[in-house]
Amino acid sequence: MSALLELKNLSFVYGQGTPFEKKAVSDVSLSVNKGEFIGIIGHTGSGKSTLVQMLNGLIKPTEGQVILEGEDIWKKPKEIRKVRFRVGMVFQYPEYQLFEETVRKDIAFGPSNKGLKGEELDKAVERAAAFTGLKSDLLDSSPFELSGGEKRRAAIAGVIAMDPEILILDEPTAGLDPMGREILLSQIVNYHKERGNTVLLVSHSMEDIARVADRIIVMNQSRLFAFDETKKIFARGDELGQIGLQVPQITRIMQRLRGMGYDVPDGVLTVDEAFSAVCSLLKKEGRIW
Amino acid sequence: MVRDVSFGQYFPGNSLIHRLDPRAKLLIFIAFIVIIFCTFNYAALGVTAAFTALFLILSRIPIKFYFKSLKVIIFIVLFTSVINLFYGVGDPIWQWWVFKITWDGIHRAVMVTIRIICLILSSSCLTFTTSPTELTDAIERLMSPLRAIRFPVHEIAMMMSLALRFVPTLMEETDKIMQAQKARGADMESGNVIKRARALVPVLVPLFVSAFRRAYEIATAMECRCYRGGSGRTRMKTIHMGRRDVLAFIAIALVIGGVIVCNIFLGKTV
Amino acid sequence: MAFISIENVEFSYDEVEEGKPVRNAVDGVTLGIERGEFVAVIGHNGCGKSTLAKHLNAMLLPDSGKVYVDGDDTADESKAFKIRETVGLVLQNPDNQLVASIVEEDVAFGPENLGVDPAEIRVRVDEALKAVGMYEYRTHAPHKLSGGQKQRVAIAGILAIQPDCIVLDEPTAMLDPNGRREVLSTLIKLNRERKMTVVLITHYMDEAVLADRVVVMDSGKILTQGTPDEVFSQVELLKIHRLDVPQSAELANRLIGCGVDIDRIPLTEEDCVKMLGEVLE
Repeated sequence: MSALLELKNLSFVYGQGTPFEKKAVSDVSLSVNKGEFIGIIGHTGSGKSTLVQMLNGLIKPTEGQVILEGEDIWKKPKEIRKVRFRVGMVFQYPEYQLFEETVRKDIAFGPSNKGLKGEELDKAVERAAAFTGLKSDLLDSSPFELSGGEKRRAAIAGVIAMDPEILILDEPTAGLDPMGREILLSQIVNYHKERGNTVLLVSHSMEDIARVADRIIVMNQSRLFAFDETKKIFARGDELGQIGLQVPQITRIMQRLRGMGYDVPDGVLTVDEAFSAVCSLLKKEGRIW
Repeated sequence: MVRDVSFGQYFPGNSLIHRLDPRAKLLIFIAFIVIIFCTFNYAALGVTAAFTALFLILSRIPIKFYFKSLKVIIFIVLFTSVINLFYGVGDPIWQWWVFKITWDGIHRAVMVTIRIICLILSSSCLTFTTSPTELTDAIERLMSPLRAIRFPVHEIAMMMSLALRFVPTLMEETDKIMQAQKARGADMESGNVIKRARALVPVLVPLFVSAFRRAYEIATAMECRCYRGGSGRTRMKTIHMGRRDVLAFIAIALVIGGVIVCNIFLGKTV
Repeated sequence: MAFISIENVEFSYDEVEEGKPVRNAVDGVTLGIERGEFVAVIGHNGCGKSTLAKHLNAMLLPDSGKVYVDGDDTADESKAFKIRETVGLVLQNPDNQLVASIVEEDVAFGPENLGVDPAEIRVRVDEALKAVGMYEYRTHAPHKLSGGQKQRVAIAGILAIQPDCIVLDEPTAMLDPNGRREVLSTLIKLNRERKMTVVLITHYMDEAVLADRVVVMDSGKILTQGTPDEVFSQVELLKIHRLDVPQSAELANRLIGCGVDIDRIPLTEEDCVKMLGEVLE
């Protein structure tokens, strides 16, 4: 199977040729398959934001290639806009990009730029709103009258409505409370399951990433630090700690238990997994049934 | 991404120029601007150029930052000098169609170029060595007599300093919103003037909404920090005229004198 | 009377909306905060915790009930500035709290408003910047700092007013994990070393664990309060209200459900490893 998205020696330098030159991304090569759920982690300034902005052509790499279904996205620079409909990008705090009179019109902005009209457009808007759990009676109100959480949903729906093959979300749950985070995250997971397309999730929350990602990209100091299955990445808790990333509390606890000689699996990600691991140990000793 | 424009930036330091009273600096700057445009010959212009150079050296700011501020306006300089080049009167030394170059034009072009460069360098010197707070503080104090006629001096100074503080923040924000709308397929780079103006709506609306939200939050934060207008306020950085300010005034007086003398005795070049 | 005494406070924003009954944002809260305490208030967005915070320095006044700060009624207008000198409030968005273009000039803003003597302001500014570890950045421009650094400057701006108590309204909500750590360790230092009273409004339970006392709010009311141990051992209650609990507490709670004997719910990694060690012994 050929990869859906391939990065070849991708680099980006800010302010090239000036005294303020700064390498943001250096020499990143990787490939992502269709239908994968990828997590992207790394602390602020590690280059992850610049990296994702290169994937839909918002930033042109200074070196290397972004290959989407076998074709370099910069092959025809005049048609770079078309790439943005195929690779949807939800920025951090996306509610600040709302501008239309009604939520419906705002969600329609992306798909109508893409060329959708009439019934087709309405359908795309309503389907996207449903994916983000936005109630349909809100569609005709002003986006500025919505609550914070609803605004966030409307903004995400605006990108989903373009029906991109790849959806990138940069910190979609930032600033939400635990309940809001949980709900939004499960909606993204549902969307991924139903549409079967590729999702890239940038997040500082290792707990969130642990729950949803198949594979994880770890960025550190502008370079690709690791790219592997979630369990394998989280089993490297010590290394991640050294580059300022902390794995979830439960992962650390189980890792230490393992270090003490108990027979628990490597790379435990959730409380559920930890619970069943501890239970099976207790069962072996006949302490519980 | 955030544009690195050195024009208008402040470089903290402790040089003689940094330590001048900002009011003195502002007055000297205004006087100097007037003088630059009252130079009639090369000698007078030379005096102002020398004065500019003296200030730059005394500011102890790496010369490359001054060059960077010049780079920003290089096109304005080229444009005005070319215009002046063709506007001279007298016998042409080169002519093609309606374009003619005269000695008068060449002199005009050279002088206007030097004037603009002096202007930019001296204003850079002012902003490089004076923090926005000091600058607005100086304006507030210089304008304080206007309070007698109920002119809101403090409020205007506060507005200016808040505006200066939030220019970079708003620039960053504009950039973010533009990227977000581009990601939704907004086309900002093609089409005629009307189409391009309309393409700005998705950027301007969120920008205004966010600016108003910011204004509200800033007001709350200022109130939390016991802000209650200008009365009873003190300043951390007190400013008072000292010997070095008197020296600076004497220097600018000498420059004015020098320029007048040159103008009278050496006649007009153009 | 407690240092800050909140007595049966009710408050609603004047939103006249047809068909919707006016809901109280704060609905009958009574709470006392003692000098030197570190109190965390947690709850969902819209539970009234931020509204309550603005009552502590007279930015908002109760519709009914009273708030007393060091014996002064916040409803007494003539005391408003004295109260704001006693209780400093740090807000969520660090960008919108910094009003000057240079860090040290921003920190000076508060004392300048109070008419403090210039030489004294200088001393206070330097001391406040040192307390939050931002002294080296005193001549920097705020917009070039990271989120955590900006928020620490905002804290310094409040410290320069020399309040007895600092209230922070979700100061870490917009920060990355590094920024959060910077701000939290600054708060702990202020509380432990300077005996500063700290009221931290947050929705991160891992921040609340660090406090002396945790107050849980829901729908404008206090749901429960106590030491972090007492509060987070009520795993079921918190889960029903869909609040976070530390993963270690959740694990322990589920083990108890299977009949495992655990006497103390662990909140930290360390305690949990110890607990599991004992259980598996």
